Amino acid sequence: MLLHKSFVHAFHTTRKLCTAGAGLEKSALSALRKKTGYTFANCKKALALHNNDVTQAEKWLHEQAQSLGWSKATKLSDRVTTQGLVGILVSGNRGSMVELNCETDFVARNDTFKRFVDHVSRIVLHYTDLTEFDGDLWKLGFDSEALKNLETPQGGSLADHLALLIGAMGENASIRRALCFKVNNDLRLAGYAHPAPTNVSTTQNITQVGKYGAIVAFRSQHDVDDHEIQKGICQQIVGMKPLKVGEYGKDVPAENKDDETCLIHQEYLLDADKTVGEVLKENAIEIVDYHRFECGERTQRDIKEIIRAQQQNSN
Amino acid sequence: MMSQAFASAVSRTGVVLRWNRRSLSTARILRSVTRQRLATSTAFIKSCQSGNYIPASTFHLQQYVRQYANEKKVFERTKPHCNVGTIGHVDHGKTTLTAAITKVLADKQLAESKKYNEIDNAPEEKARGITINVAHVEYQTETRHYGHTDCPGHADYIKNMITGTAQMDGAILVVAATDGAMPQTREHMLLAKQIGIDHIVVFINKVDAADQEMVELVEMEIRELLTEMGYDGDKIPVVKGSALCALEDKNPEIGSEAILKLLEEVDNFIPTPVRELDKPFLLPVENVYSIPGRGTVVTGRLERGVVKKGMECEFVGYNKVLKSTVTGVEMFHQILEEAQAGDQLGALVRGVKRDDIKRGMVMCKPGSVKALDQLEAQVYILSKEEGGRTKPFMSFIQLQMFSRTWDCAVQVQIPDKEMVMPGEDTKLILRLIRPMVLEQGQRFTLRDGNLTLGTGVVTNVMPALTESQRSELTEGKKAREKKVAAKK
Repeated sequence: MLLHKSFVHAFHTTRKLCTAGAGLEKSALSALRKKTGYTFANCKKALALHNNDVTQAEKWLHEQAQSLGWSKATKLSDRVTTQGLVGILVSGNRGSMVELNCETDFVARNDTFKRFVDHVSRIVLHYTDLTEFDGDLWKLGFDSEALKNLETPQGGSLADHLALLIGAMGENASIRRALCFKVNNDLRLAGYAHPAPTNVSTTQNITQVGKYGAIVAFRSQHDVDDHEIQKGICQQIVGMKPLKVGEYGKDVPAENKDDETCLIHQEYLLDADKTVGEVLKENAIEIVDYHRFECGERTQRDIKEIIRAQQQNSN
Repeated sequence: MMSQAFASAVSRTGVVLRWNRRSLSTARILRSVTRQRLATSTAFIKSCQSGNYIPASTFHLQQYVRQYANEKKVFERTKPHCNVGTIGHVDHGKTTLTAAITKVLADKQLAESKKYNEIDNAPEEKARGITINVAHVEYQTETRHYGHTDCPGHADYIKNMITGTAQMDGAILVVAATDGAMPQTREHMLLAKQIGIDHIVVFINKVDAADQEMVELVEMEIRELLTEMGYDGDKIPVVKGSALCALEDKNPEIGSEAILKLLEEVDNFIPTPVRELDKPFLLPVENVYSIPGRGTVVTGRLERGVVKKGMECEFVGYNKVLKSTVTGVEMFHQILEEAQAGDQLGALVRGVKRDDIKRGMVMCKPGSVKALDQLEAQVYILSKEEGGRTKPFMSFIQLQMFSRTWDCAVQVQIPDKEMVMPGEDTKLILRLIRPMVLEQGQRFTLRDGNLTLGTGVVTNVMPALTESQRSELTEGKKAREKKVAAKK
C-alpha cells in the first residue's frame, strides 16, 4: 500500500506540474483526474458510483487500483516485452542487479518506470538482510517466477506492485531476473549501468539504470575508494563481455586480441596500451566475481520468447 | 508500397544518390556509381526524346510523368510530396487510424485501402545497412501526396531520421479519449522534438467510448502538455473522432468525416517542405580538369538548385573560399541551357586554376554555405551484425568522416555518456581536423580503418574551434593526461 501511495503521489506531482498555471475548469472529473492520474474512463466510473463525490471516488479508485491493475496485466500478459532497463544498486557490502522489461522503449525512458526499477532493486537488496552470512561472498539469483512471489516489506507481493505499474502505463511489463550480492571481510562491491550520466561522484545507495549493467566483487589493498578505476573495470565488463576473469598461467591470451574472453587478458578500454590484468596489478585489485546483464539478451530460457517476439514484431 | 518507394526516390533523388555515394567510399567504387548514374540519365534523355516526357506547364509545380517500367504503375507527380508519421501509445489506435485514413481516401480513389494487419507488422527494413522496424504507407489528399511512417519504438524513429529514408515533415499524435495522456506521452513528444518535428496535429481517438466532457478534458490536457514541451499548444489543431467507426463505416460524423477533417488539418498545418530544386544551387566537386584553350572544368552531380551560364559561384572547402563565374554548363558533351538538381554535369569556370580546386570542395551560390570544423550530430553506431565494430568506444577516438565527396579526420567527443556501445544511437560532438562544408541535416558516415562504424546526421552547427582547441586535436593521450593532472 505504501508503494502504491508513493507511486500515485509521484504520478500526481508530475501531473500537477503539467497543469500548473493553466486555468482548468473545476469540474469533478478534471479534479479527480488531476489528483489521481487514473485514466479518464476510470475516473468517470468512480464518480458515477459515488454521486460525484470526489473524496469518495478517490478512495474507491485507490482501492480499485490493485484489481484494475491486475485485470489490465492479465489482458496484456501475452504481449511480448523486449525493451526495458537494468537496474543496479550497491549499498555498502550489499548489492542487487535487476532486469525489468516492457513493450516499447518509450516506457523504458519514462520516470515512472525508472522509479519502479529503483523500487524492485531495493526490495531485492532488502532480501539480503534476511540472510545471516559471514563468509566472503554470497550471491543469489532470482528468476521471474521467484520474483513474482517475493513478499515486499510494504505488503503485497512484487507481482501486485507490477500490476499497478501495468495499470498506470497501459503496457505489458515483466521483472525478468534479479541477482543479489553480499560480501564480507575485505571484499567490496562496485556497480555500473550503461548508459550512465557523466560526472557522478558516487554510486553508493543510488539505483543506476541503463540498457547494460555489471556488478563486480573485488578485493583491494587500498583503503580509499578509487571510484574511477572501479567504474573502469565495470565498463570493461559491460563493453567487452568477458566470459571469465581468467588466471595467469592457466589461461593463455587469445591470438586475436579482439576475441579475448578472459578479463585479465583483454585490452583495457580506457588505455589500449595496457591489459586489464596489468591495470588490476597496478591498483592492487583482485576481481573475485562479476556479473553482467544486458537488457533483452538471449539467455537459453528466453529463446522461445524471442522467437515469438520476432514473429509478432511487437507493435 | 512500390509507388511509395518511387515517391521518395523521385522526390529525394539527392538523398538517395547521396547514400549510395557515402556508403561506398573508395574512389574506385565512386566512379562506378557515377557511371551507373550516367547510364540512368542517358535512359532518361532517350525517354524524353521518345515523347514520354511532358514538359512543365506551371511554373511552380512542374508537372511531368515519367515512364519507369512497363509492368509497374506510373507514379504521377502532380502534387507536392510531404512525409508524415504517427506517434502515440501502443493501444491508442495508431495503426487503426492509418488503416482508416487509407480506407476513407480509397473511397475517393486517392489511396489503396490497407487493412489493419497489413500495416500492423512494421517489417524489418535495411536502409544503409541499418535494420529498422518501420511501416510505410502512401496516400494522397486533394492537395498533396503523403508518405506515412509508423515505427514501434523510439530507437526506430531515431534510426529513421538518421538514415533519412522518410524524414518526417510533421507528425500526427494519437491519444485515446478514454485514457487521456499516458505517462509516456511525454516521451513521445520529446521524441518529436528530438527528430526535429515542428508541426504536430493531434487526433483524439475513441470518442465513441467517451462523453463530451471527457473529450474536452483530454484536449485541454494534451494542449497543456504540448505547451509544456515547447510546442504552441493553443494553436495546434486537435481533431476528435473514432478511427474504428471510419473503418467500419459507422457514425460518419465521428468516423469518415473526422478522418477527412484530420487530413484537412494536416494539409493546412504541416507546411510543404522546400524542394531541392528551389534551394540555392550546390555542386559537390568530384573531379577537376583543365581543358587547353577553354579553362577549368569541374564535374559532379548537382545536389540542389539550378545552374545556368553566367551565374556567380563560389568554391568552399579546405580553408579556401574562391569566387568565380560559371561560363558554361555541359552534360554528355552537349551544351546545357540550365542544369537542374540531380544532373551529372561539367561546369566551365572562369579565372580559377585547376590546382586551386580540389575534389571535396563544393561549388555553390555565393554565401549560401559555410565550412565548419565543429558540429553536433545524432549518430547510429552499427551493431556487429550490421557490419559495425564489436567494441564500444570512448571520447577522443579518431575516426574518418565521409560526406558528399570529401573525407576528413575527426575527433569524437561523447557529451552525455562515457562510452558508446555498438547498436546504440547517440549524440556526438565531432571536431574536424580542417573545416569542410557542412550544414544542418547533412548526412555522413564514420569509418575506422576499413570498417563502417556508424552513420549520422548533423543536428547542430557549432562555433569554430579556437587555436588551442585545434592544437588539442592532434595531441596524444599523454599530453591530455598531463593537462588534467596539472589542473588538479
